[in-house]
This record gives sequence, structure tokens and C-alpha cells, in this order.
Amino acid sequence: MIFLNYFISGISLGSIYAIIALGYTMVYGIAKMLNFAHGDVIMVGGYICFYAVARYGMNPFLGVAVAVVGCTLLGIIVERLAYKPLRQAPSLAVLITAIGMSYFLQNTALLLWSSNPKVFPSIIERGSFKLFDGRLSVSHVTVLTIASCLVIMGVLTLFISKTRLGKAMRACSEDKGAAQLMGINVNATISMTFAIGSGLAAIAGALLCSAYPTLMPTTGSLPGIKAFTAAVFGGIGSVPGAFLGGLMLGVIEIFAKAYISSQLSDAVVFAVLIVVLLVKPSGLLGRNIQEKV
Amino acid sequence: MSEPVLNVESINVYYGSIHAIKGISFEVYEGEIVTLIGANGAGKSTTLNTISGLLHPTTGSVSFLGEPLARVQPHKIVEKGLAQVPEGRRVFAQMTVQENLEMGAYTQKSGLAEDLEKVYSLFPRLKERMHQTAGTLSGGEQQMLAMGRALMSRPKLLMLDEPSMGLAPILVEQIFEIIADLHRTGATILLVEQNAQMALSIANRGYVMETGRIVTTGTGKELLASEAVRKAYLGG
Repeated sequence: MIFLNYFISGISLGSIYAIIALGYTMVYGIAKMLNFAHGDVIMVGGYICFYAVARYGMNPFLGVAVAVVGCTLLGIIVERLAYKPLRQAPSLAVLITAIGMSYFLQNTALLLWSSNPKVFPSIIERGSFKLFDGRLSVSHVTVLTIASCLVIMGVLTLFISKTRLGKAMRACSEDKGAAQLMGINVNATISMTFAIGSGLAAIAGALLCSAYPTLMPTTGSLPGIKAFTAAVFGGIGSVPGAFLGGLMLGVIEIFAKAYISSQLSDAVVFAVLIVVLLVKPSGLLGRNIQEKV
Repeated sequence: MSEPVLNVESINVYYGSIHAIKGISFEVYEGEIVTLIGANGAGKSTTLNTISGLLHPTTGSVSFLGEPLARVQPHKIVEKGLAQVPEGRRVFAQMTVQENLEMGAYTQKSGLAEDLEKVYSLFPRLKERMHQTAGTLSGGEQQMLAMGRALMSRPKLLMLDEPSMGLAPILVEQIFEIIADLHRTGATILLVEQNAQMALSIANRGYVMETGRIVTTGTGKELLASEAVRKAYLGG
């Protein structure tokens, strides 16, 4: 039973990684860039949600909605100001800009909200469901987190496979030049992808802070890196890959904490990543890029 | 004659410091097939990409239906009715045949079902494979898909970049028959080819390009008969 408990917390943590990883993987798939500031968007989402709920007494779900809107706008602005001018630049320049943006967001948060940790109010009532005569307890936040991840994954999959914009995103991710020749506005499509990824980051931020209620300007960086790892693990650029990679990373992390050592858990996670990449360099569900002439 | 559909006027195009197009001018009138022929590196694809707005001329101008395209973004140019079938087909390999065609219709607000029907009747092969991903198609089928995809935007001018590239002779003939058919139904076509023989045999007029310049021009028949063209491009 304790095993099942660990497994469920692993899935829950993994769900958060998965939601964050979706942002990484979608942006990578289309803009072919690693947006290292993505983790910090989560933190901003957490703060917006915190102020909306704790200071202005909003309904928590409304607070999350405000955070989603705020982060979507933030994503669009960051893309517009920092990344769009570098569309033709070498990828290394874009990567360094993304790292710079990450520090910029963290330090702006430090100025605005100070380094004192804020205690994040849970977005739903704390408590848990008792199963098997109370031998298994699953907290409300855990259930909400897993459910949110499944819903997001489902909606996103439908969006990408069925809608006009979703298909345009796939076209852009395969061949931007050809997409342009179809009359697709590639720049607008890239901005849209940033907007969606950042909106999802806000949801991840609210869920993360509900599960681990300390909010600091650096809150987003470690989950950001882990989610990036999850995206690579699953195959960067692949949406189901981000989902699978996120869940597996969460489960491995919790099991490593429980059965090996809580200090070594991150080392175990990255060791597994290295093994996976040695065996399958494109990640679990990643596609090998084929060039066809 | 009336105003040309496409008017290219002494454009110069650079890739960095390389002077790729050196002041070429030509025009395409409604209902014509015009071909640009020339060897590899003559600047044919560069010319098409400049017309599509992917590259910008340093001097000179491109006008489409009387309107200069200098400040128009590539995706807006497609909206105006100028479609390009790019070199190497560049179908979306991981999307299905049908999705590829839908992408071709991205600028169209309505009439999708009707346009799909039209393209499928032109290329029955594609209908059989509508749910397959484009990457699984053969080279000839991919060329058909690339052409069908471009037709989905209801172009007023269709530009084809080396549709015969990498195809077996029998398929090349098939593709050229389709191009000639499209022309008979009234399409205006700008065809870029290395296969001068095939291109000139279906074209109304042709321009011969050499290292960024137009060196000869004439009707398809004249160029086919011309000694210089024969020597340079038709293997004696």
C-alpha cells in the first residue's frame, strides 16, 4: 500500500512536470529553441495567483484564471521583445538570450516581491480522500493535479490534431519555409505557441505551489530544469513524449527519494536520463529527423 | 497586350555578398505557361523565392496583378493568389495527405470540400492515400501532393520549381501532362526547369538563365529550335 502511495505522489509530481514540459516541447518543436525562461514563467504565475487569492481575496479558480491570462501576456511580450528579433540569429544567441531572460525574470521578481518565501494558499481545500479503510490517502491537490494534467493533455492533443491553428503549428514545426508558402503567418504561429505554453505554465505554477506551498523568486528554476529533462526524456518536440516523460520523471524521482536516498534522488533521475539518451538519443517518443531529398 | 499577371522588373538579389540575380526582367500574361530554364545555380529558384517574398531584391520590383509586392509579407502574397510548389516538393511528411491539402487551403475561407474534390479528381492517387502520412508516399506522389496543395489556394499564378527533379522519366511525363492539362483549363503557370526539353515543349514562352542573367528568350518552339539552347541544354 505504501508503494501505491508513492506511485500516486510520483504521478502527481510527474503531472506538474508534464504540464511544464509541454511548454518546452511545443516551443522547441516550432521555434527550435530552448526557452530556459519557461520555468520562471511558472514562478510568475505562482505570484500572480498568490496575490490574486491571498491579497485580493479572489476565488482560487478565478485566481488561476488571472494567472493564466497574466502569463499568456508575459509569454507574448517576452517572445516579442527578446526572441522575435533573433529569428534569423544563430541558435546559440537565442539560447543565451533565453538564459538571460530567465535571470531577468527572477531578479525582477526579487525586486518586486523580495526573497522572503510566501506561503501559498492551496487552490482547493486541503484534505484527502481515504481509500482502503484509510490505509491509502490521496490529497485533494493530488487528484486535482492529475486530473488537470489529463484534461490539458486531452484538449491540447485535440487542438493540435484537429484545429486549423493546431495543424498550422505542426506544419511550421516541420518546415517553416513551406508553411509560409501555404500562406501561414509563421511569426504569428510562433507567438501563439509561446502564449499557449506560458498559459500552461501558469496552471503548473498554481498546482506546484499548492502541493509545495513555498513561493520564492527561484521557485520555478528547479522544476523548470526537471521539466526540460522530462521533455528531452520523452523526445523533445513530441507532445505525447512530454506527457510520458513528465510522468516517468515524477515517478522515478519519488521512488528514488523513498527507496534510495532523498539526497540522491535528482542524481538518480539524471542517471536514468543519461541511460535513455544513450540507448535512444531522440528520447522515448522522439522521432529521428529524416532528411528526404 | 493587356497587363501581365506577373511583372518582374530588373531585380537584383544578393545572398550576403553573392550577387545571385543580376538585373533580370520578365513577365507572365494570363493563361500562359512561361518557363525559366537554365543549369544548376543559374538563379532560377532564387528568382521564384524572390517573387514569393522569401527573399528581397536590393533593386528592381516585382508586381503581381499590377500591385508591387515589395512590402508584402510572404503569407500575404499567397493570399493574393500566388502559389509556389517549392523545389524538392517539401510536403509535410508527418501530416496526412488530406492535412497537407488542407494546409494548402489555409488562406481560403470556404469551399474546402469542393476544392479537395477537384484536387482528388485531378490526382486520384492522392485520394486513395488521403489518410496516409505524406512521408510514406513515393517521389512522384509527393510531387502530385505538392502540386495539389498549391492548387488548394486557388492560385491566379502557379509557380512550379523543378517538378521533374529526381523522378523517373515515365513520372516526369505524367507530371508534365498534368501541367499541360492545368494550362488547358486556363491556369497561368511559371515553370522553372532544368529539363529544358520537356519544359519548352509545353511552354508558350521561355527564358534561358545563366549565372543570374537572362541570356535568351523566345517562344517554346523557337528556343527548342535554337542552336545555342540546343548546344547548352539539350545535349547537342
